[in-house]
Amino acid sequence: MTNSRKIRGYLQQAWLVLLLAGAYGGALAGVQMTLAPRIAENRRRETYQTIPQLVPGADRERTVELWISDREGNPARVYRTHDAEGRHNGWVLPASGPGFADDIGLLIGLDASLKKLTGMYVLDQRETPGLGDYIRDADFRRQFQGHAADTPIEAVKSDPQEQQIVVLSGATVSSSSVCRIINTAIARMRGPLLQSQAAASAAGGDAREQEL
Amino acid sequence: MESLTLLVQIFVSAAIINNFVLHYFVGICPFLGVSRRVDMAFGMGCAVTFVISIAALLSWTFTYYLLRPDAPLPAWLWQRAGGDPSVAIDLSVLSYIMYIFVIASSVQFVEMYVRKFAPKLHKSFGVFLPLITTNCAILFACLIILRNLQDPAQLWGPAEALTLALGGGVGFTLAICLMAGIREELELCDVPRPLRGAGITLLVAGILAMAVMGFAGVDQNLQNVIDAFFN
Amino acid sequence: MPDGPTASERFLNGILPENPVYRQLLGMCPVLAVTAAMLPALTMAAATAFVLISANVIISLIRGQLRPHLRILVFTLTIATFVTIADRFLAAYLYEMSKVLGPYVPLIIVNCLIISRCEICASKQTVRVAVADAVGMSLGFTLALVSIATVREVLGSGTWLGLRVLPEAWPNWGIMVLPPGAFLVLGLLLAGVEWWGQWRAERAALAVASVSRSLQGQSGGAAREEEASSWKA
Repeated sequence: MTNSRKIRGYLQQAWLVLLLAGAYGGALAGVQMTLAPRIAENRRRETYQTIPQLVPGADRERTVELWISDREGNPARVYRTHDAEGRHNGWVLPASGPGFADDIGLLIGLDASLKKLTGMYVLDQRETPGLGDYIRDADFRRQFQGHAADTPIEAVKSDPQEQQIVVLSGATVSSSSVCRIINTAIARMRGPLLQSQAAASAAGGDAREQEL
Repeated sequence: MESLTLLVQIFVSAAIINNFVLHYFVGICPFLGVSRRVDMAFGMGCAVTFVISIAALLSWTFTYYLLRPDAPLPAWLWQRAGGDPSVAIDLSVLSYIMYIFVIASSVQFVEMYVRKFAPKLHKSFGVFLPLITTNCAILFACLIILRNLQDPAQLWGPAEALTLALGGGVGFTLAICLMAGIREELELCDVPRPLRGAGITLLVAGILAMAVMGFAGVDQNLQNVIDAFFN
Repeated sequence: MPDGPTASERFLNGILPENPVYRQLLGMCPVLAVTAAMLPALTMAAATAFVLISANVIISLIRGQLRPHLRILVFTLTIATFVTIADRFLAAYLYEMSKVLGPYVPLIIVNCLIISRCEICASKQTVRVAVADAVGMSLGFTLALVSIATVREVLGSGTWLGLRVLPEAWPNWGIMVLPPGAFLVLGLLLAGVEWWGQWRAERAALAVASVSRSLQGQSGGAAREEEASSWKA
């Protein structure tokens, strides 16, 4: 008796809050249902439209997103790229790490045999405008093409040799951050990717057919 | 070892280099409002650090188990209810509402707890606790944790979340105490009339922000030192 | 007048006399964080206006049923919902911009401007007055964001809304688009507004004084003497 009165009292106090919570929940569910596919598509497109720049000859429509365990067993996202005829021609690794001011997010392009770097693209950065943000420029990014993927890349002030790039003047930290992020990401993923490739070819079949 | 490097880097980055107040501009209201005296500023800083740590741990728990795109709890409930297991459940649309209530209730609980069990502490910074609910620094920490839990490739654990919160709190305390120290000196200066109050405070904050920019890149070298020390 | 200012007065109040940023020092976090360029500043202003107007309408509609001790809960719930909606819309239709704004869109939830308008105005007034108030405040907030972003973008990148306004030879003031620039510009603009207000107040005081002096001049010389000595003191 007192209990039911208590509950009635609570309801009298809180019916408005409960009603609003229900209405807002419904509104948010509606928003989520209508917009979520579009947001996911935006995220996907952001990566996919840079893929032809990262791996020469890659067809963005034929790129496959894969989840592979990295060196320490954590899941990591990689993209397996194919050319217009469907031949596997490279890999794209997303990577991020601390830059000069904030985290830098990169995409790294590798050839199919994981021997060579084919490109680099900056997705997210908040480096110093006018100095560090030149890491986005094509001239700087082009330096990374063609280096071997099995030895780390180094940033030097001048006269680049094998496996070296020239830092942007006034942005040494930003430039070497990019190198560091690339080196870490490749060290993390190269072994597992080679293993998965070896396993696929040992199985005899071409996994590509099922993926597509 | 690698995780230790990450923790050090998160802490230094949140506390100094990407200082919550002077780089991300969160927590500006108390930074301008409660920075007249150093002791009050320190009390505010302690209160924020305290609440931010609790809120960060709570919101990490909620995000990890409930709100992130492939969280275990909703998927399990969905399957128990007989839903199609291939449908992904994404509750992240609720995260902002969840965070603001987590913050509001943790402020309430901290206030009750401190008043009951540490009345002395309550006397020194209890007055600031109700103000903290609308402090953006705390919601900001929760949002960074959310960002780092959305990508399954680099999932943060509770240790990272707590380190970020502590770093952010220490950074806030540092900024507000520095500001209060300078403002105590400014009391004795002849500031032009239109600049008095918020104007001169913001100009000083600008100079402090320039000073903090000088630390940029320190975390990288720190990381190198730690790596070299362990190898 | 029991209702206080009318709808149109509230509308005008929000723009200049009670400008949320320059007069009330509310919502400083986005004011500093997103004003490095005009476009993010305008997007932020639009998102804040959407949340402010929607929340004010809802709160004003349910004001008769609000329990005093639950009102902050209702405010927060309403604001957080509309912020989530605004955030999703930005991510779906203006993806690049939502990446630039990042966490500052969800941080609208703790923008004191919105909750203070709900508390001061919307929970006590009719929908018409609440909307006028919200629109006025939004315009005032937009004005503040735009003024700061204009200074920072023009001096920092030589452009305005992406269009080049200063010659190519202009050496971009990098500091303007960096965090310290935000503090410096806002501090100086605040001082400018304050100086203007003080100058006007002084002029008004002088005008009042001269009018009263001339009035007193008609009534007799003794009063004028007295006036002059009081001015000296």
